[in-house]
Amino acid sequence: MKPTGILFFPAFDWAISPTHPEREERLLYTRDQIFEEGIMDLPQIKEYQPGLADLKDIARVHFCVPDIESQITEAHLISAGSALVMADAFMQDEVKNSFAIIRPPGHHSMTVSHGNRGFCNINNEAIMVEYLRKKYNVKKIAIVDTDVHHGDGTQEIFYHDPDVLFISFHQDGRTLYPGTGFMDEAGGPLAYGSTINIPLAPGTTDSGILYVMDNLVLPILDEFKPDVIVNSAGQDNHYSDPLANMAFSAQGYARLNTKLAPDIAVLEGGYSVETALPYINMGLIMAMAGIDYSNLSEPDYKPERFKESERNLAYIKSIVKKQLDLFRHREEVVAKNRKDAEYFHNYYKQIFYDTDYIHEEQQNRLRMCPDCCGFRIINSSAQHRNGQLYRVLCIAIPVNACQQCHAEAISAYADMVKNGDAFDLIYLQDRVNDEYKVLDITSSREIVL
Amino acid sequence: MLIGIDVGGTFTDGVLFDNGSIVTSAKKPTSENNLKDSLLQVLDALLINTDKVKIDRIVFSTTLVTNLLATGRGQKTALILIPGHGLPCLSYEISPDTYFLKGSIDFRGRQIEALDRKEILAVADKINNSGIKRVAVAGKFSNRNHSQELMVRKIIQEKYPDMLVSISSEISGKLNFPRRAVTTYFTAMTLTEWNKFADEIEAALERRGIKAEVDILKADGGTIPLEVSRTKPCETVFSGPAASTMGAVALSMDDFNSVVLDIGGTTTDISLIISGQPLYASKGARIEEQLTHIDAFAVKSIPLGGDSLVAYDNGTIKVKPERKDAAACFGGKWATVTDAFNIYNSMNLGDTKASVAVLGQIADNAGITVDSLCSQVVQNVIAHLVANINGMFTAWENEPAYKVWEVINKRKFKLNRIIGIGAAAGAIIPAVAEKMKVDYLVHEYSPVANALGASVVRPTLAVNLHVDTQNQVFTVDPGGINGKLDHPTKFQLTDARELARKYLVKIAQDRGIEKYAADSEFYMEEQFNMIRGWDRIGKLFEVGVQIAPGFIEEYKGVKI
Repeated sequence: MKPTGILFFPAFDWAISPTHPEREERLLYTRDQIFEEGIMDLPQIKEYQPGLADLKDIARVHFCVPDIESQITEAHLISAGSALVMADAFMQDEVKNSFAIIRPPGHHSMTVSHGNRGFCNINNEAIMVEYLRKKYNVKKIAIVDTDVHHGDGTQEIFYHDPDVLFISFHQDGRTLYPGTGFMDEAGGPLAYGSTINIPLAPGTTDSGILYVMDNLVLPILDEFKPDVIVNSAGQDNHYSDPLANMAFSAQGYARLNTKLAPDIAVLEGGYSVETALPYINMGLIMAMAGIDYSNLSEPDYKPERFKESERNLAYIKSIVKKQLDLFRHREEVVAKNRKDAEYFHNYYKQIFYDTDYIHEEQQNRLRMCPDCCGFRIINSSAQHRNGQLYRVLCIAIPVNACQQCHAEAISAYADMVKNGDAFDLIYLQDRVNDEYKVLDITSSREIVL
Repeated sequence: MLIGIDVGGTFTDGVLFDNGSIVTSAKKPTSENNLKDSLLQVLDALLINTDKVKIDRIVFSTTLVTNLLATGRGQKTALILIPGHGLPCLSYEISPDTYFLKGSIDFRGRQIEALDRKEILAVADKINNSGIKRVAVAGKFSNRNHSQELMVRKIIQEKYPDMLVSISSEISGKLNFPRRAVTTYFTAMTLTEWNKFADEIEAALERRGIKAEVDILKADGGTIPLEVSRTKPCETVFSGPAASTMGAVALSMDDFNSVVLDIGGTTTDISLIISGQPLYASKGARIEEQLTHIDAFAVKSIPLGGDSLVAYDNGTIKVKPERKDAAACFGGKWATVTDAFNIYNSMNLGDTKASVAVLGQIADNAGITVDSLCSQVVQNVIAHLVANINGMFTAWENEPAYKVWEVINKRKFKLNRIIGIGAAAGAIIPAVAEKMKVDYLVHEYSPVANALGASVVRPTLAVNLHVDTQNQVFTVDPGGINGKLDHPTKFQLTDARELARKYLVKIAQDRGIEKYAADSEFYMEEQFNMIRGWDRIGKLFEVGVQIAPGFIEEYKGVKI
């Protein structure tokens, strides 16, 4: 039996600010617990060393404004790079599954990155997904976001991509950051049903969440048949988390992972650093390695402490039914959207960067292609913290774009190179050729990665 | 004058060292069943024509504890564990007589679950009824709070005063409960035998009228006084490879990156010296397939030595991982690696004609010339050694890292030199160095570098301090000392350093090695702010200070 790969990178010398939840101390007690348990010495576990992501790995996903270097620290390169190390270990069959216990997190980062939102600058899972597709030609990937906060960044990045199934269950957006993740956010017109949101009431317990797993997440995964399953493994549904209000336990997280059986798990949020994280991380490692976790629990946990109410369970059942129905009818909806489509699908978006206090405005144009999921043009503007206003135009070509979309997007970029005076920066993200360009209009300097 | 004796698996080596050179050396086959006699035979050989009064210090390394554990001759010991919540108890069944108790401590040293006195007494009765008189007790996070371990020992000894109880917090303060439990268990198993051995050695020295300081070599390349070793038998394991590595450092005495190849008759031990300091095994010594908290050098042992057999098997020339005898040039009957190098490099070792004769037979069978045979053997041996050396570099480079700084400044091993020691080093090392394009050092003392290393190394001592200012407590390893902080709110890293140093000096005094305390250095420092809400409620510190492996003051190196 192959071992489970673990990459533990607690970034003991990195913090957003000294008292921020995302600080040096975050994984300290997790370190103490997993080292004291001696779990890394077991034959079922193989420990890996962190790696560094290339700038190109980041450009494959993000348009960083004004450049990648100003959006990241070395810690971000290691965190993202470590997710890639775990992806390699899994794809190269060295391990049966793998878990990157890394920080800083990433699931709130969207395609365009003007700054830090929800403690994230770049999206570790998205970078890993594009890497899996580029390096290993993986076709279908499912990301299950088990963080208490809606994984709005990951959702936005793959919103128009029918080959990446994004499922997020989280505390209802009306009661928690980032205020999204409602059931009607179901994917773009050509990828309808490949985004599934499950907003849960505050106080939802193990039995509620595991009901969602059994009756919605697992059936959907069964039908979608992904080649790789990723757990975007936040740990803040825990009853002791200081930033959220759910009632999930370490046992619950372990059982969830046994059911989900992710190929690769990547740590996201979770800020109950002392009372939850050491036990949830143990639970996840044990579940993934197939070690009996019946002896695992938090010091203050009592099984009878949290009980799901009849009313909430009925509510959860109604969500499950609705979303299962939505997923099962997705192809009809996409077909209809395609039929009724105009050349471009236009939409407007406002994005708030809570950590950096930046308001971004976006105009999106998605090519409603009859043959592929279409290229996208994002017109984004935001005033950064230093007072500088950036207007950028970003052209994104998906990895599975058809020849015509590819050619059109390339010529759109060529056109903007000549006529892009209204912008500061023009980006081209050519995932087909794995080539990433950014042109600085003022200096006419083009950087190609 | 200094004496160093390394009781190895096959041979016992000894040197008498004085004023920068080896006065005399001795080598005897080791009698596995009587290590004490082997040791004393070599000692007596060294003492011929030596004025016993002038001997200042005797250091020896021995495989006694390793042998006791390997052959199951350790004392039958019950293991009592307080595992709390986490991995299933099954993962911790180290002893056939393992018992589990209620009780639990967390990573901050807080009691989560109390002990159950009745349960402890019942377990003690069971152990007593099974005729076992030695007990090892280990609790998860007892390194952060030893109160439950102390209580278990007290309850058992009140009822059964003749039971000897070892507790894990006194054996090691490092995180990793299973390793702490194993180390405590092995300590309990070997304590009596080791003390018997120490008594015999002391008596034997007294009979010979020797009043020198007597020290034992440890796996970390330092010594402890024989008296102190009585409570820590496990620290003496793997002192043989440590003697060799320290011998290599003693011969070189510089800041280079070196690989040490200790090429014996049967095996080659590979270790690394990084900027003049030997590399430690990151996970501690592995004894009987179990990881422990014993600090030991990272040593890779491969079954290839100077006396490894050369053979022609199924159409191929092979170097077999077995030894039958000495090399033919030194009077053996079979063709060996040393014979092949002897001819290939025209080294004129011993009886060269004998080498040619045995190799000639094999070459005839294979239908090739002797030169071609030797060339194949040499290339084979070099390739095998080089692959293993490179494997050591990679393993070191790929150690996990937990800080941004460590990942960005990713380490890369740049080899400056190979140091060859052991009897067969002279024949093999030059060719390996040529292949790797680096310098090499094979000294005239290389064959006895292990005993030389033992004779001149100084004591080592690593003291680790953990401070929790919110709970106002600290713990110190070794010894499992728990204390209360006087001024927790004002406590800073400088105070932590001072406190750690204070304990190092105190423990050094207790061990009679205080003169080395001035040379101590900080090797590890961690500090974390504990934030709850948006306020700092305390700090956590972890500080390590040590007397690192090194040499006694009078040793200034040997002539190269």
